[in-house]
Parts: sequence; structure tokens; C-alpha cells
Amino acid sequence: MSKTAAQWHETPKFPSSHYVDSRIYTDQQLFEEERQRIFNKTWYIACHESEIPNAFDYRTFQHPGGTPLIIVRGEDMKVRAFYNICPHRGNTLLYDPSGNAKRITCIFHAWSFDTQGNCTDISREEQGYQKRFCKADAGLREVKSETGYGGFIWVNVDDNCVPLKTFIGDAMGELDPYIGMPLEVFHYHRAIVDTNFKLWHDTNSEFYHDYMHYFNRVTGMMQLGYFDRKCVGYDNGHVLVGSMEIKYDAYAGSKERGIGWPGLAQGGWILIDLFPGMTYNLRTSVLRMDTMIPLSPNKVMIEYRGLGLKSDTPAERAQRIFDHNTIWGPFGRNLHEDLLGVHGQGRAMRPGTDSRWVLQGREENSTIHDEVGMRHYYAEWSRLMGRKAFDPYGERRVSAAA
Amino acid sequence: MDRTTIQDMVYQTCLLLDDKNFDAFLDLCDEGFRYSITTHSPEIRKDMIWLDHDKKGMQNLFTQLPRHNSDHSPITRHAIVYKVDVDEGRKEADVVSALQVYKTDLDGGATALFAVGKYVDTIRFEGGKPKLAKRVVKLDTRMLGIGYHIPF
Repeated sequence: MSKTAAQWHETPKFPSSHYVDSRIYTDQQLFEEERQRIFNKTWYIACHESEIPNAFDYRTFQHPGGTPLIIVRGEDMKVRAFYNICPHRGNTLLYDPSGNAKRITCIFHAWSFDTQGNCTDISREEQGYQKRFCKADAGLREVKSETGYGGFIWVNVDDNCVPLKTFIGDAMGELDPYIGMPLEVFHYHRAIVDTNFKLWHDTNSEFYHDYMHYFNRVTGMMQLGYFDRKCVGYDNGHVLVGSMEIKYDAYAGSKERGIGWPGLAQGGWILIDLFPGMTYNLRTSVLRMDTMIPLSPNKVMIEYRGLGLKSDTPAERAQRIFDHNTIWGPFGRNLHEDLLGVHGQGRAMRPGTDSRWVLQGREENSTIHDEVGMRHYYAEWSRLMGRKAFDPYGERRVSAAA
Repeated sequence: MDRTTIQDMVYQTCLLLDDKNFDAFLDLCDEGFRYSITTHSPEIRKDMIWLDHDKKGMQNLFTQLPRHNSDHSPITRHAIVYKVDVDEGRKEADVVSALQVYKTDLDGGATALFAVGKYVDTIRFEGGKPKLAKRVVKLDTRMLGIGYHIPF
């Protein structure tokens, strides 16, 4: 039966943990709070160690909290992270996304910095500042960084944050045995999509959307054990989406992946969503990493990386690249479908569309068509935001039964 | 192996792919045909391959297209042949064409530039007829939004 306007706006007949108010995906005020309360407080992946293998190599990174960063490997081979902002007149220090710089020199007035963040030169320092200001006053703002969990470089702009290990907790336990060896990024691309960042994370948190993928419908969903895969929630909002083995020969043009991944069962698949917007996805022969950089309530930049083993032979690397592209490349069969899905959500949830609720009410004993992963995520979101995801503005009176 | 024949071949591939006449496109391709899409990432400082198939792989990709959920906005390929190097000994021509790909929204019909790059083709002459032996789509554009299922 179709609904009237009043019925459309009625509170869903679920416990309040099983739906969210659509405005959490669209409101500017909530978006700004997310940047401050979540992204500027949590650890986030900036890049991979293989992107800056040599002393003085750097990468720039648009931190999801809003601040542009530089990730640089020093002469001592230690990786550090700084604001990509000149302390003089606020200019961008490094413009290129990557490079090698013994000195980080601002193009504006040639102030120069070393890879430990010390200011090494102020043009005509004494003439302009006499004894009132000097290089020691002009260091770069350093932010915390750690390397780990597959060689990724993590940053946290909160000086008082907990250690990365505490933030991750036990969430990576299922994947840790497979990512201890040196890895290397072979694929990087970005997608900017008119949708909210959480909607992409939602998609990565359940496999109910396998109905969108022809390939997954004729392979995974037909296999014994598919519906046994469990979602497991961990502290700080992280979720393991249960592992399985894929039978690739069920899809024309695909074949059993020949090279696999050390220690992983043939056709194995482990997916871990880390709060608030990162996903490790180890599938058969490739590790994919998604990191989301929210740009506005209805715009997100997603960075996609594909990784293989640093020890790969050319033939092994070629096979991993082929496997990656078939499913996850910009022309791959699944990635486009997933992005089309969240693009559609973004289109339907723009302010003014009268989208009201997003249901997360499926309960299937915490298996992968259960929406428990999203519920786990929004419990953490609510805790950090100090707002209820089902009622972000405290407008509703929820019955005790709900 | 005159330049006009070679140019016509490149333009014909564009028209056929724009029309989604994939069988006719593959008829223009040599049995040993290889198709790839490549680009360079300044972010990770690596050349990347985004798609790589032989003729059978392309046939399979085209066959599967109707089974996927896709953006149905059509694309238009605009190529201009810049350079033709004929090797009479090999009976092949190396051809470089500038490529622009436009996407026209299905809803409303707005057209926007989707990608730019180059076709780097090898055209083989067998029995006086040209066949596309190899196509490398070298993309300058790396931001393709939600992506696309149909190769350029």
C-alpha cells in the first residue's frame, strides 16, 4: 500500500537503533560537526609506505577534517606529517601530489623547512624581523603519524589522541596474518561522487547489495556458506564483514585466480570497515583500500588503492592488476555498480527531496545480509557526535518499547 | 596503406563503439587484437593499466554488459588522427590520435567532457584490408566519477 505524506513521515516501526534520520546525510551543520568531532579526532590513512620509499619522498593528503597535509620521509627514514600550510602567510607549501624535496620551500616568499618541520631559512630574516621573530618561531605544525596494518601511514590531527593500536583494537585480527609482508601500491584513482561519505561506508558494511551485482548473484550468493558469513563489531565502530571463498568459475570470462595471496585460502575474501571511512578489502589476489574524504554533506572524494606484494614477479603483478581491474578498476564491473548505487542515494537524499528515513532493520543472526554493521557504525557515530542518528536534533519522543 | 584508409579505420571504430555495435567493432579487429587502457598516476608515481584484454576478453566484456547495472548515459568518442607511421615491411601502421570522450546525460541531455587522452593504434594490413591489431587508450583524465562499463 502506498503512503500518504503523514505516513511517509511516521517513525519506522523498528527499534530506534534500526533506522536513521536522512538528515544525517544532508545537513551542513552535522557535516561540520562530523569534521570536528569525528575526523579531527580519529586516526586516518593518508597513504602507503610504498608511495614514499626514499628519504625526502613526500605525498600530499587532503585530510578529511579539512586540513591539507604533507607526509614526508625524513633523512632518518622516519615518516612525519605536517600541515601543508606555510606558517608565514598561509600559502600551500607543496603543490604536487608527490615528489622528493630535501627542503620544503614555500614558493611565495621562499621560507624553507626541513623534513623534521624546522624552519631553515627566512628570506631577509634580520632585515624584516630584527630580533622580534626568527626561524625557531616558524616551525611547521606537525601532526601525529604512525605506520602499520599493512604498511599504511596513518595520521591524527589531535595531539591528545590515543595510540593507533588502541584505536584499532582487535578489529584487524582477521586480516593481520595476511598483511605482515611488505606491500606495494600498484593502483590509485579517485572518484568524486555526489553523495554522503557514510553512504559509501554503509555499502561496504553489508552484502545485501549483492543483488546489484550480477557477478555476485551468480557466484557468491549461490555458494554454500555464503549466508553463514558473520558481521562482527569491534570497539570504536569498526566492523569485520565475514570472510568466504569465491568460486570464480561460475562467471563467464572469469577463472580461478591463479596466484592468490600468501596464506589466504584460494578465493578467500576478508573485508574490514574501519570507522569512520576506511575499508580493507582483501579478495583472492589483491588488497583494496578505500579511504573517504568528505568534501561536503553531499560530496565525497573516495581514494581507491590496489596493492600487491612488494616481492611480486612481473607476471604475478600483471595477474593482480588484471584481477583488480576486472572487478574494481574504473571500468570494472562491480565498482561502477557500487558507485552508481550511492550516487543514486545522493540524488534522492538531497535537501528538499523529502527523503526521511534510512532503514537498517534487517536481522539475520548477524550474517552478511543483516544490517548490523551499519547499526554498529551509527552507535559509534551517535556516541562521538553526542546526537542520536535516528533523531539528530532531539525532536522526537521515542517510546520505551522502541 | 594510404593515410585516408587508416584515418577511416580509426573513425569507423569510434562510430561503431558509439553505436554500441560491438560485433562490428570486433570484426575490424585482428585475431591477435589487444586492447588496453593505461594512464600515469602522479600520486603514486607509477604507470597504471586500467583495462587489458585480448579479443576474446573484449568479446566477453561486451557480452556481459547488459547483465550489469550501468550508467546508461551515452558517450561520444571524438578522435583526430595526428600521426601515421607506415612500416611497409611489417605491413603495419602505428597511428596516434587525439581522443576526447563526451558523456550526454540520459536525463536532460546535457553533454560534458568525460575524458581526454590518445588512441595509440597498430593497424595491420592483411590481403589489402586494414585490421586493428592493437589499441592502447592512453588516458590523461584519471577522474571518471562513478566510472563506466564500456571501454573507450
